[in-house]
Amino acid sequence: MGSIQIQQLTKSFGDTQVLKGIDLDIKDGEFLILVGPSGCGKSTLMNSIAGLEDVSSGDILIDGVNVTDLSPKERDIAMVFQSYALYPTMSVSRNISFGLEMRKVPKAEIEKTVADVSQLLQIEHLLDRKPSALSGGQRQRVAMGRALARNPRVFLFDEPLSNLDAKLRVEMRTEIKKLHKRLSTTIVYVTHDQVEAMTLADRIAVMKDGQVQQFGTPYEIYNNPANRFVADFMGSPPMNFIECVVLDDKLVIESQGEKFELQVAHGEILRHAGLETVILGIRPEMMTEPKPHVMGALVHSLPMQIDVIEPMGPDTIAFGQWNGVEVQARLSPEAGVDAQTKGSISLQVDTSKAVLFDAFSGARLDA
Amino acid sequence: MFDYLEKQLPKLIMAPTAIAMLVCMYGFIGWTAVLSFTKSRMLPQWDFVGWQQYERLFANPRWHVALDNLLVFTLLFIIIALLLGLMLAILLDRNIRNDGALRTIYLYPMAVSFIVTGTAWKWILNPGLGIEKMVRDLGFTDFEFRWLVDPDMAIYTIVIAAVWQSSGFVMAMFLAGLRGVDDSLIKAAQIDGASTFRTYWHVILPVMRPVFFGAVVILSHIAIKSFDLVQSLTGGGPGYSSDLPATFMYTHAFSRAQMGLGAASAMVMLAGVMAIIVPYLYSELRGNKS
Amino acid sequence: MKSLSTSQRHYKALFITILVLFALVYLAPLYVMLTTSFKGIEEIRSGNILALPETLNVSAWTKAWSSACTGGDCYGLAPYFWNSIRIVLPAVFISTVIGALNGYVLSQWRFKGSNFLFGALLFGCFIPFQVILLPMAMLLAWLGLANTVPGLVLVHVIYGVAFTTLFFRNYYVGIPTELVRAARLDGAGFFAIFRHVFLPLSTPIIVVSVIWQFTQIWNDFLFGVVYSGPGTQPITVALNNLVNTTMGGKEYNVDMAAAVIAALPTLVVYLVAGKYFVRGLTAGAVKG
Repeated sequence: MGSIQIQQLTKSFGDTQVLKGIDLDIKDGEFLILVGPSGCGKSTLMNSIAGLEDVSSGDILIDGVNVTDLSPKERDIAMVFQSYALYPTMSVSRNISFGLEMRKVPKAEIEKTVADVSQLLQIEHLLDRKPSALSGGQRQRVAMGRALARNPRVFLFDEPLSNLDAKLRVEMRTEIKKLHKRLSTTIVYVTHDQVEAMTLADRIAVMKDGQVQQFGTPYEIYNNPANRFVADFMGSPPMNFIECVVLDDKLVIESQGEKFELQVAHGEILRHAGLETVILGIRPEMMTEPKPHVMGALVHSLPMQIDVIEPMGPDTIAFGQWNGVEVQARLSPEAGVDAQTKGSISLQVDTSKAVLFDAFSGARLDA
Repeated sequence: MFDYLEKQLPKLIMAPTAIAMLVCMYGFIGWTAVLSFTKSRMLPQWDFVGWQQYERLFANPRWHVALDNLLVFTLLFIIIALLLGLMLAILLDRNIRNDGALRTIYLYPMAVSFIVTGTAWKWILNPGLGIEKMVRDLGFTDFEFRWLVDPDMAIYTIVIAAVWQSSGFVMAMFLAGLRGVDDSLIKAAQIDGASTFRTYWHVILPVMRPVFFGAVVILSHIAIKSFDLVQSLTGGGPGYSSDLPATFMYTHAFSRAQMGLGAASAMVMLAGVMAIIVPYLYSELRGNKS
Repeated sequence: MKSLSTSQRHYKALFITILVLFALVYLAPLYVMLTTSFKGIEEIRSGNILALPETLNVSAWTKAWSSACTGGDCYGLAPYFWNSIRIVLPAVFISTVIGALNGYVLSQWRFKGSNFLFGALLFGCFIPFQVILLPMAMLLAWLGLANTVPGLVLVHVIYGVAFTTLFFRNYYVGIPTELVRAARLDGAGFFAIFRHVFLPLSTPIIVVSVIWQFTQIWNDFLFGVVYSGPGTQPITVALNNLVNTTMGGKEYNVDMAAAVIAALPTLVVYLVAGKYFVRGLTAGAVKG
């Protein structure tokens, strides 16, 4: 139970259309993440699923039943809010049980549920406190406890970790993942943090301007982005985008005055497309210091002048320029130091996972 | 079905208030307006006579006295209350740590009815037994203070009582405004070498402009509505020398069976209030938007 | 704490002196009222207003309360005191409850036209009541409530609701909407959310609203004098009648005692809960 189908959903606020036709098929028990920049419509979509916002057109089905006209109460959904939205005048215990109280659940059952949930989230010692006497992390747990107590078909999380400090965020991320494994309830989770999206999701819906740009597993989204926006949004450090002149089935890279030819995975597309230039999308981890054990037709050696290096700890990012565009390469710390001393480096460039985009529309050319 | 009702609940809740506002404010204003165009005397008579009541109104010497009094009273009341309130607020702001007691004293007059205020001041200004006698007992045997029974001076007694009642409120507004001034502004002025006086004049007071305007609007509103105070302090007298539009309206609409005339005077009062409130609200809303 | 120079200390002393002097001036009328009320008539005529009473003569007080003449009747202020109570208590309660619900709707359950409605209400706070005096009299007569206590209660409720709604709306706007959303998901409806979420948070604004309304209605004279009849008048009207009735000689001590009696409830409220009162004044006024 807990599958969700969203069909052709649109939502307008007055003259502004915020959701422009959303189609999503969420499987029962799936951990789905909605990710995108601010204003993309992800929170509106979540509120529509919850029934907190009316839709302009389209349908929402939960377990095959059309809930589009049902009130939030009737949809059997629980939500964890970004600001936690705990009732300030109620104790933690009452905050957790309030939803059950409203549904007229018998007192004994309420007590048991509160006990179970608080034990699971390790907040038993906080039951008599008011929210103002809790730390941020504790409030977050209470908010989750409130949702858990309802035992709903679907959990909605609206940026639940963005108000926590970095360390706590990582801890809670793992907790949420464990919770999902344990409960197997469908989770729809909104975040603007693509690292969270990649680590937590079964599937990701990347949104922009009220539309789903791509819907797939983290692996698919990362390695096979549907368009330039998705490729740019997911991944840190971000993908390099280099506009290259097309030469038959190869691309031309100009570095430090010299021209080099790059072979790519679906080169024949270039030959048939008849385009003068194309955007090459290649991730920094595919541009490294020479690693002798890596070989293949798509492995090249190209020089790059070093503008600046950024040591990140486990590796070092090197900034340089190709075709007049800033590019980033991922080097080992030693190679980084070496490159900085020498001022340039001969990079090993593996184009086996590179993608090609149309220079004007940003659409994938080689999907 | 219940779901639909639930959705309409907010509107249903507001409905009684909305209806009451529609009828008892805007509807009634319309009714009074229409009445002002009729010949009504003791009871409403729907015989329309155009602007006749307004012409009668402005030909009425008593109304002119009331208008003159309103002008004098409003100007003096606002200016004195502003100056007094500002001075007290400035003195309080920097100099007293625990100003709670003083503030309580300056503000308590607002808690009592204008009737009580009028009664008290009527006694204090009593010719013969009040201030006059007190000063005479101190040795100034020729001192006279008979404003209360002097047709030319009666209106000023109302100014005195009104200032006593309302200046504390102005002080509270200014004090809140002064305390809201950014400390860093003052420090910058001090570093620039400005004396305390110049700091106030050039830095602090300009920031307080909105408070000034707010105070002026509220004070003029109080002034135009003044009825209770006049009734208890002078009764509009001696004669009608301290009449104000509010007392004029009351006397003519209710005691003198001149409903049409009373309605006309009420409409003029409304116009006066609107002339102040509307531009103020408009500029406030515009200011908030930008 | 910076130490002050000599001239600065002189200034400070001067300022404090000015402040204290003004405080005395502000207190003077209250002082005069009290002292006069405890004096005998001869003492008043021969002494001066600032003198302390020779003895604490309470006869003026008993007369003011139970036997002074207020126009036609000579029952003192007592019956009118109770009239005011019977007017004020229901009016304050009803206007506060309605204001709270209205404020709740206007701040959290916006609908088409709700902003306009709020603007219309706000505007209504400013109108001079002279423009509604006559038609309201007609309405009360039509409802059979002319010159009755319930009639006055109705009038005060109608014109008080604009203010109480303003207070509550401005306060509730500060409560995050996510609380309402969370409660809706928890299955709470309109009234349940009000009862469990908003009401527990409302104590400060309820106090402001009650104090403001109590003071306004208790001190009102205009509505009282127009819409009440013999026997149903509030205390302000009775006081005015008492003071302006000259049967026999003028008894200034009785007048003053009566004035203090009339002022006592609101003065006590002010002294006990004054800071909430101020907050209500400046919040309603400055916010506009």
